[in-house]
Amino acid sequence: MSNIDRRTLVKGSLAAMMAGVAFSRAALAQSSEPILLGVSGPLTGPNAQYGTQWKQGFDLALDEIQAAGGINGRKLAYSFEDSQSDPRQSVAIAQKFVSDPRIVMELGDFSSPASMAASPIYQRGGLVQFGFTNSHPDFTKGGDFMWSTSVSQADEQPLLAAYAVKRLGLKKLAVLHLNTDWGRTSRDYFVKAAKENGAEIAVTEGYIAEERDFRSTLVRVRDANPDGLILISYYSDGALIARQARQVGLKQVICAASSVYSPKFLELGGEAVEDVHVGTRYFPEDPRPEVQTFIAGFKKKYNGVEPDAFNAYAYDAMNMAAAVVRIGGADRRAIRDAFTKVKDVSSVIFGKATFDVESRRVKGAMNAELVVRKGQFALWDGKPT
Amino acid sequence: MSSWLDYTINGLIVGNVYALVAVGLALIFGVSRLINFAQGSIYLVGAYIGWVAVVQLHTPLPLTIIVVAVAAALVGLIIERFGLRPLQNSVRIAPLLATIGISFVLDQLVMLTFSPNPRALPSQLPDVRFQIGGGTIGPLDLLIAGVGLTSALLLFVFLRYSKLGWAVRATAQDRDAAMQMGVDVNRVNQAVFGIAAALGGVSGLLVGMYYNQIDTAMSLQATLKGVVAEVVGGAGNVPGAVIGSLLLGLVESYGVAVFGTSYRNLFAFLLLVVVLVLRPNGLFASARQAPPEPLTGTFIAPSRPVRIPRWALLIAAAVFAILPLLPVSFYVLQTLINAWLLGMLALSLTLVAGTIGQVSLGHAALLAIGAYTSALLSLTFAVPVVLAIIGGGLMSAALGTALISPSFRLRGHYVSIATLAIGEIVSLVILNWESVTRGPIGISGIPPLALFGYELVSPISIYWFSFIVMVVLALLQGRLLGSHLGRSFRAIRDDDIAARAYGLSLNRYKSLAFIFGGFAAGISGGIAAHLYSYINHETFNTQQSILALTVVILGGLGNVVGAIVGAVALVGLPEVFRIAAEYRILIYGIVLLLLVRFRPQGLLGTM
Repeated sequence: MSNIDRRTLVKGSLAAMMAGVAFSRAALAQSSEPILLGVSGPLTGPNAQYGTQWKQGFDLALDEIQAAGGINGRKLAYSFEDSQSDPRQSVAIAQKFVSDPRIVMELGDFSSPASMAASPIYQRGGLVQFGFTNSHPDFTKGGDFMWSTSVSQADEQPLLAAYAVKRLGLKKLAVLHLNTDWGRTSRDYFVKAAKENGAEIAVTEGYIAEERDFRSTLVRVRDANPDGLILISYYSDGALIARQARQVGLKQVICAASSVYSPKFLELGGEAVEDVHVGTRYFPEDPRPEVQTFIAGFKKKYNGVEPDAFNAYAYDAMNMAAAVVRIGGADRRAIRDAFTKVKDVSSVIFGKATFDVESRRVKGAMNAELVVRKGQFALWDGKPT
Repeated sequence: MSSWLDYTINGLIVGNVYALVAVGLALIFGVSRLINFAQGSIYLVGAYIGWVAVVQLHTPLPLTIIVVAVAAALVGLIIERFGLRPLQNSVRIAPLLATIGISFVLDQLVMLTFSPNPRALPSQLPDVRFQIGGGTIGPLDLLIAGVGLTSALLLFVFLRYSKLGWAVRATAQDRDAAMQMGVDVNRVNQAVFGIAAALGGVSGLLVGMYYNQIDTAMSLQATLKGVVAEVVGGAGNVPGAVIGSLLLGLVESYGVAVFGTSYRNLFAFLLLVVVLVLRPNGLFASARQAPPEPLTGTFIAPSRPVRIPRWALLIAAAVFAILPLLPVSFYVLQTLINAWLLGMLALSLTLVAGTIGQVSLGHAALLAIGAYTSALLSLTFAVPVVLAIIGGGLMSAALGTALISPSFRLRGHYVSIATLAIGEIVSLVILNWESVTRGPIGISGIPPLALFGYELVSPISIYWFSFIVMVVLALLQGRLLGSHLGRSFRAIRDDDIAARAYGLSLNRYKSLAFIFGGFAAGISGGIAAHLYSYINHETFNTQQSILALTVVILGGLGNVVGAIVGAVALVGLPEVFRIAAEYRILIYGIVLLLLVRFRPQGLLGTM
């Protein structure tokens, strides 16, 4: 008897799994009216914060799209599947989306391993994978269904190098970078551009994402005797490095990539990030109407909270999705073709975004030269710090 | 040259930070012989309680510390009472797994309450800096050092001179004898958990202030570093934990000084392996310590395995084999492909952890070795995919066994710690060995699975391919367990002294088990590489190792069918709870806790 019970238990767990899938389908099928986008991204796990920021950006964009009458009268909606940005889960989600006829295109995943593991499935399934945070140089090489509004580092890093070397006059640089595909690629582009501008790279140091203590790294930097520190970091580690640099007595000019641009950078860095220079694609004082509408809308919807760059990427991505769906309708292949047709989509990051059909990325990111003054990001006035 | 003074000071400062976590871990290990994987989560809880106190209630520093200590102690008491005490008489591995489940639950609760965005936790001490060498230290550095050293000292005095302290030590030495002498063992455990949790909470607060930054992902890293520091110092030895922490900080700092930042953690884990190999009980193990447990036999729950009749297995296999012909979605097939891949890893782990008794917490490293070997063979040398995958299996078998062999003389929990370290080392070597592994960029464009020149790209063909490979591996393993060799393996697990007396060469048999196990894991990693087409050093991480261990314990250690059932269940559960979005890891943690509580020998029992 107990044999059977145990077996039932095992089989039961399987049955429950299938039933769960069936149930979620049935539950969603009732509201089949809106045009549905699939989102694969982290809501739990170590990158959960970015998934949360995506949602904020998406929801704001959707409010505006809906208010403007939706897509040819139909609503636009998304189904967010938590992948924890783990490749094993993102491939399962990819199968789920590909085999779900209501999904017309996909957005995400957050990290390159998770996105690129799923790419073959999207490519073969004929569903657009729109990776708007995937700057890995190989992401859009996965196939003609891979598109990205993430600024290629080949585009962004030369701008940062010009800011640091030409405008700020830093001649001997120490580069600290996150040792991931993104940080490493960015570093290589930066170093190349900085050398072309005539600067010397005194030292480069890569650190892993979980790192919290940089004091010994900074001693190495000090011993290399640079006249400027370049941070290719996210805002949380960027703030940590700046704090510890000041604590160990480094007084050099710090210049950081746009990825530190976040109100959190100021909050986490405190006084240590004063006078830090940031080359950015987005900042709130930018008078462009795209930016000002976004900020006003964001603050209104989220109780006065300042948006940051990841909110802006997500907001732009959703607007871009709406634009291509408007052209392509609810047909997957037509949506893929629509990416080659959209022109000058209003965008916080690009001003007007148009895809380069060859690279399947957007070219011509805006660049603003900012500096932290009195605890706020401000346009750099050209004065040395 | 003056830089060396700076490196030394920096090493000591960060060592201080590690000490705060390590002391709590050491205390719990000393009494319960338990590596508390939830300690990092209590540290996280402490940091966030501290944030509420500082930022919302504006409490002064001494009051903040008291609030955090008391609240964290309460959390510790709750964990002890409801999470661990019910497991007192169950297998040793049960409480270890329970602490992993508890850490899932705590981390997730904090994240749901506070959102995953990092927060600033301002230091409440004046920001004056004192110049020392080329660098500076501040009051918070001194406070952290003070708290670490004082708590270690107080604990030492408490254990040595107070009555409750004696009871704690007596319980640590021999639980049953202590009970017979009238020691209230439960009260002792409670006291220890309360104190350790209070320490953990305060450390979270202070470290958060030190970096002016707290986030919900900080717990695992804290646990890892704390465990390394504690084991280096001598598990269960409180002053040893402090010295181990300082040593760890110094080794990391000097490692950065000589080799650069990206090698930092590599040196931390190498230190651990070297110490374990040279002094298996840590640097400061006391000579009078009770002899280590007979071995891993203690990990195995005595149970009668559920014998599934052959016809039932055949029917189940047939059902799964024809599943793609039925109207099931590709999503279900892909989920099951993940289950078959995890099943192969579980077969590997259930052999080494279950059958021969070497619990491994770094098994994902074998996947990584197989995946990289197979990817590079097919990309660089144009080896046909199937042969490349087999090459991955062979490489995992050879390299995995070679890496793990120094740990063969270790006992009990030390085996799992050593394997944890080896797993981290493999991942860090992949990150740094750029000329071969392409470092952080990872390997992209790996060719898809192919058989005799035909590419397998549809989920149906991948499903069949992985299913058949897994079934073949399972049959081989079943055959192995039924043979003379399999009986020798189990003899070593159950009583290594008797086995040795009987003339079995332990190292040789353990190596054999790892060769078989490494092969299955390497095959799994190889298939995954071709399935994903892109891998990097993070694709096969610690989380995956912990998942594999959970699978084999859920299925029943050493149980071949159990490993597969466990893999299907644990790949399936998070998918079932997918509708629950943010809550699903929480639910997963709770399910794990309930399983450990009510069926520690696993669904199908230990073989």
